[in-house]
Amino acid sequence: MPPVKVNVKWKGQSYEVELDTDAPASDFKGQLYSITDVEPSRQKIMIKGGILKDDTDLKTLNIKEGATIMMMGTPGELPKEPPKKTLFIEDMTDRQLAETCLRIIPELQESLNRFPNSVTSPDLQINLTTSLRDLYKQLNRTTESYVPFTFLRALRSAFPQFDQRNANGYMQQDAEECWSQIVTSLNNANIPVYRPNDISTASESSSSSNESFVNQYMTGEFTSILKCVDAPDEPASTTKSTFTKLSCFTSDKDINYMQNGILMALDENIEKDSPSLGHIANYTKKSRISRLPSYLTVGFVRFFWKNNRQIRTKITRRVQFPFDYDAYDLCTDELKQKIGPLRNHILEREKEKDTAKRKAKASLNPNEKETAESKSDKDNEVNDEIKKLIDPELEKDIGANVSGLYELCAVLTHIGRSADSGHYIGWARKHDSTEEWVKYDDDKVSIVPQSEIQKLDGSGGSDWHIGYILLYRSKKLV
Amino acid sequence: MLSPVELDVLSEEDLQLKNELELLVERLKENNVDLHRPALESLRTLIRTSTSSMTSVPKPLKFLRPHYATVTEIYESWPESDNKLFLADILSVLAMTYEEGKRDSLKYRLKGLREDPGSWGHEYVRHLSTEIGQEYEYRQENELPSEDLMTLALEIVPFFLKHNAEADAVDLLLELEAIEKLPDFVDKDTYARVCLYMVSCVNLLVPPDDVAFLRTAHTIYRKENKFTEAVSLAIRLGDYDLIREDFDAAGELDELLQKQIAFILARQQIALPIEDDKIQDILNNTHLTKHFIALAKELDVLEPKTPEDIYKSHLENIRPGFSSGSVDSARQNLASTFVNAFVNAGFGNDKLISIDDGNAWIYKNKDNGMLSAAASIGLIMLWDVDAGLAQLDKYLYSTEDYIKAGALLAIGLVNTGVRNENDPAFALLSEHIEGAASSNMRICTIVGLGMAYAGSKRADVRDLLLPLVSDTTLTMEVASLAALSLGLVFAGDCNGDITSTILQTMMERDDSQLKETWGRFMGLGLALLYLGKQDAAEVTLETLKAIEHPLSKQVAVLVEICSYAGTGNVLKVQNMLHLCNDHLDKDKEDDLYQAFAVLGVALIAMGEDIGAEMALRSFNHLMHYGEPVIRRAVPLAIGLLCASNPLLNVLETLSKYSHENDTDVAINAIFAMGLVGAGTNNARLAQMLRQLASYYHKEPNCLFMVRISQGLLHMGKGTISINPYHSDRQLMSPVGIAGLLTTLIAFTDVKMLILGRYHWFLYYLVTSMYPRFLITLDENLNSLPVTVRVGQAVDIVGQAGRPKTITGFQTHSTPVLLAHSERAELATEEYISLSHVLEGFVLLRKNPDFMEEVKD
Repeated sequence: MPPVKVNVKWKGQSYEVELDTDAPASDFKGQLYSITDVEPSRQKIMIKGGILKDDTDLKTLNIKEGATIMMMGTPGELPKEPPKKTLFIEDMTDRQLAETCLRIIPELQESLNRFPNSVTSPDLQINLTTSLRDLYKQLNRTTESYVPFTFLRALRSAFPQFDQRNANGYMQQDAEECWSQIVTSLNNANIPVYRPNDISTASESSSSSNESFVNQYMTGEFTSILKCVDAPDEPASTTKSTFTKLSCFTSDKDINYMQNGILMALDENIEKDSPSLGHIANYTKKSRISRLPSYLTVGFVRFFWKNNRQIRTKITRRVQFPFDYDAYDLCTDELKQKIGPLRNHILEREKEKDTAKRKAKASLNPNEKETAESKSDKDNEVNDEIKKLIDPELEKDIGANVSGLYELCAVLTHIGRSADSGHYIGWARKHDSTEEWVKYDDDKVSIVPQSEIQKLDGSGGSDWHIGYILLYRSKKLV
Repeated sequence: MLSPVELDVLSEEDLQLKNELELLVERLKENNVDLHRPALESLRTLIRTSTSSMTSVPKPLKFLRPHYATVTEIYESWPESDNKLFLADILSVLAMTYEEGKRDSLKYRLKGLREDPGSWGHEYVRHLSTEIGQEYEYRQENELPSEDLMTLALEIVPFFLKHNAEADAVDLLLELEAIEKLPDFVDKDTYARVCLYMVSCVNLLVPPDDVAFLRTAHTIYRKENKFTEAVSLAIRLGDYDLIREDFDAAGELDELLQKQIAFILARQQIALPIEDDKIQDILNNTHLTKHFIALAKELDVLEPKTPEDIYKSHLENIRPGFSSGSVDSARQNLASTFVNAFVNAGFGNDKLISIDDGNAWIYKNKDNGMLSAAASIGLIMLWDVDAGLAQLDKYLYSTEDYIKAGALLAIGLVNTGVRNENDPAFALLSEHIEGAASSNMRICTIVGLGMAYAGSKRADVRDLLLPLVSDTTLTMEVASLAALSLGLVFAGDCNGDITSTILQTMMERDDSQLKETWGRFMGLGLALLYLGKQDAAEVTLETLKAIEHPLSKQVAVLVEICSYAGTGNVLKVQNMLHLCNDHLDKDKEDDLYQAFAVLGVALIAMGEDIGAEMALRSFNHLMHYGEPVIRRAVPLAIGLLCASNPLLNVLETLSKYSHENDTDVAINAIFAMGLVGAGTNNARLAQMLRQLASYYHKEPNCLFMVRISQGLLHMGKGTISINPYHSDRQLMSPVGIAGLLTTLIAFTDVKMLILGRYHWFLYYLVTSMYPRFLITLDENLNSLPVTVRVGQAVDIVGQAGRPKTITGFQTHSTPVLLAHSERAELATEEYISLSHVLEGFVLLRKNPDFMEEVKD
């Protein structure tokens, strides 16, 4: 049979090709390859509702002169999957922010690294802890954004209340609840305390092994005195209780500073059955801190349940919080005595530094070098001095704050008008920096100046981020 | 006897007439037979000369009325004679004013001389025809012969036709069930008005009269060599033999006319095996993409639009919050994918996906979103098979299962509405039906085949898909979608094999499987087979009754509404409304069939304006008193009823529903707004949707739907309509309605399907998408710009004289866009249109009688 001329349509263009019906179909594909650069394996040649196969006998197709044949095929490279996966907002939740805050505590990471459980542990809460550990490992390893799926899954299975969904996906959860649940589960998991090497072995053995990290580093102790108002004669009772978080009231109009709010929360009026009077009487409960942890969490009571309207509303009152916090006023007298000397010393030193700085600024000191040299000597001296001042009892208590002085290291904020909506983001002090902070907005991480943090006190109303949980850490003594 | 008051008002002239008439009656009473004749003559003259007035009873009749009884007595007393016959004639006329219901006019008419009834005036003829109708009915009931009536009627019909009363002529023959006799009386002067009246009546007639009307009108058109009109009616009848006959007859007469008919058939996607390549190209819609792009060039809308161009979010009243910005939201990206696809549909270019870096956008979608994103290429390349397949090929090698599946769906989309001799869709897709493809790829193949061959009735597609329906080991999802695709391919075919297979499957499958969401699509597949076939579905409905599962009731409703789609059958509409009356306990009983019933009201009523208006009113009631399942379906039904027809009151209603507390109602209403405005660029609707976007900016699902609707509103940048009616709203495209209905059925479980993993159901709209253009072509099928007047269509049925067919027109040069209910007419005498309707592709021929106007 003589070859027939056919029109091959490809990419909207028509090519005239001589088709030899006696030759195998692969020859025809070769012809097309030379014209179009499409490899024969990728050529799809469509004739009358069928695809031409290599072993098809062209004669059987009865192709007529001038027939049009359609070809499909892409020459060269095929499109590849983009290297970076797109991260979708739907996959993220606000909860990862709480962890961002947790991440600030280096000791916790260290401790967790030693935590031996495998992820398959039957206890869901322990499971959570392990996944948190893995999360930290991941976070340390990568500089890209990392979505804490495992952790979230563990979190959701451990605390089903976070697994509530509505039409839009996971429901907005309260960051405070989340935070406290994480802390509690860490506590339950009994992470052994990691002790830095420089601490003496003696003290290490003194603390019993069942004391967990959370107990040591994050839990304080209240001493509460309960007094009956109606019966002044009744003896006051004293109780001790632990806390992982200080609450700060924000609703009262007198409260403009965090200190007021905390004090107000510590002094409570309660009604209870009085043993002496035999009926329900008013009591005042005055709590003071008898142990300060290294890491102090302050939760602002910003959401409250409006009974008349049956909604949770948000208080957007401005409550200023300090960068350096002195917890002295909150302490029991006993603790005040213990921490007093060191605290006073440090405060004085700071004042001195301040004045020195001011002086240095005022007069361009010609002997600058000299002072710098002497400074290091002086520093050593000071360190020794400070060490001496630390109350020995407190020193033994690992994870306790010895001076009552704290500095702000992380803030968790909420933006939005109601408790069920809005957005949580985390802010944390950049490692070893005083002026720069890091803003963790889901997977967007940016550096912001300290002045930004000041704006988080509620002055911006509900349309700006408002501090919700603050994390303070002990001031470094050196 | 006249009262004194009446006597008073009588003028002298009247009194004289009265006396004269009374005298004549007296004469008749007398026995002098010789005087009878002149008396009758003068009576006749008096009556005839005064019957010209239409506004009041003619005076002679009025004055003779009291003597009617006397005259009848006289008549009875007379022996048979010429005079008696004469008197019968006069009595017949007098009876007009005397005693209704006894049909005396007719009685005496039949006994009389039977001279031309027209000589007694128009009013008499009309009266007579009324009595004929009544008498005929009476005789039918009593099984009496009625040949004499027919003879009389056939005397009257020519009179009606000659005197601009074609409506009366048609009505008379309708009452005598003899409409097929009409063509003998119609001539070139009267046929147009007669046919216009007949065709417009069809929706109001009960079977089998409607078919008889269409056939008679068809015969008349053929007799007058009006082929395009005749073919339109043949299409409406769904009679392929008739279409073929018209087509061949036209070919013998005029080749160009045959091409015009080919264009009309192509619009309806009717395939005819033709040897001629050029005509086959027309039938295959091969020209569509070329002319559509040319239209875009002409209108200057070729430049691709981005979703943001459509959203115009800078006009939305939301502060840019944390949620907008650099983070990709899968939901929003998916919406953008669809918007991009609908807006740039058919243009072959866009800014997201058909570009070199289009791959990147696909990966900006998640899982099933990638599927829809890959498939969106099919919509952008719509109708352009060559370029479309070249674009899609590379994605068939993708490592991602979703993308491969999407590409297969896109192959189906590209081939929708066009056919190609090499049959690429079948070649490429058929191998994935049985191969070890993933479930996603398999589903997309099935859906793609359904779209590509919608309405083609291809046996090889049936052979491929039918085993999937009958195999009970497959999932409901696969089987149902296969059934649905078969329904699309064989829409309105009443195919017995497919019917029995689907019914068989429904009987064999477990109850739990039938309960799945997919069950409704299996039913829809069955229903689409009977689209517009009216009582042909009765056997199927009976069979469905035998299946004891709630699904059978749903399916029965679907079959019923589909079989009466676009007929305007009032009884069926009432049936559907009746179904909505029940207040069911959702836990105990399945109430989904009520949703289908609501859609059915719209589907049945959509053929005809008054019915549509009534349906809208009933929806208002359903919205007030209906159960949630009904209320959710109401916006969808409105969307169906007014697809691409943004009536102001409908927009207001939907806007109200779009703020409902029930999110499902709101979402459906928002989508309905998109449907109603589809491809119109309606500015008011655009504003409403932007406002909704602000309102729902925190509700991802609602916002998603707002975006989709915005995309639909600007479909094809305002050049594509989804209304299934075309050719002056006379023809219903079965595939168009099938696609529209499928999408709406998917919205009856919006959470699982559209908002869930199966958002590609939105692509079913593709079968109803067609440019709303008018393109005039010369004899070589090249575009030929001429001036046309475009204006609102006016209903001229039954109006006297030669009324204007459009109002408020503007003069444009073709190609031009036509909105719903707009009509075009040539503004130049230079050309003659070969088609009776100026829509879509119209061939023009030089007017041989045209004389250039002499300019000074």
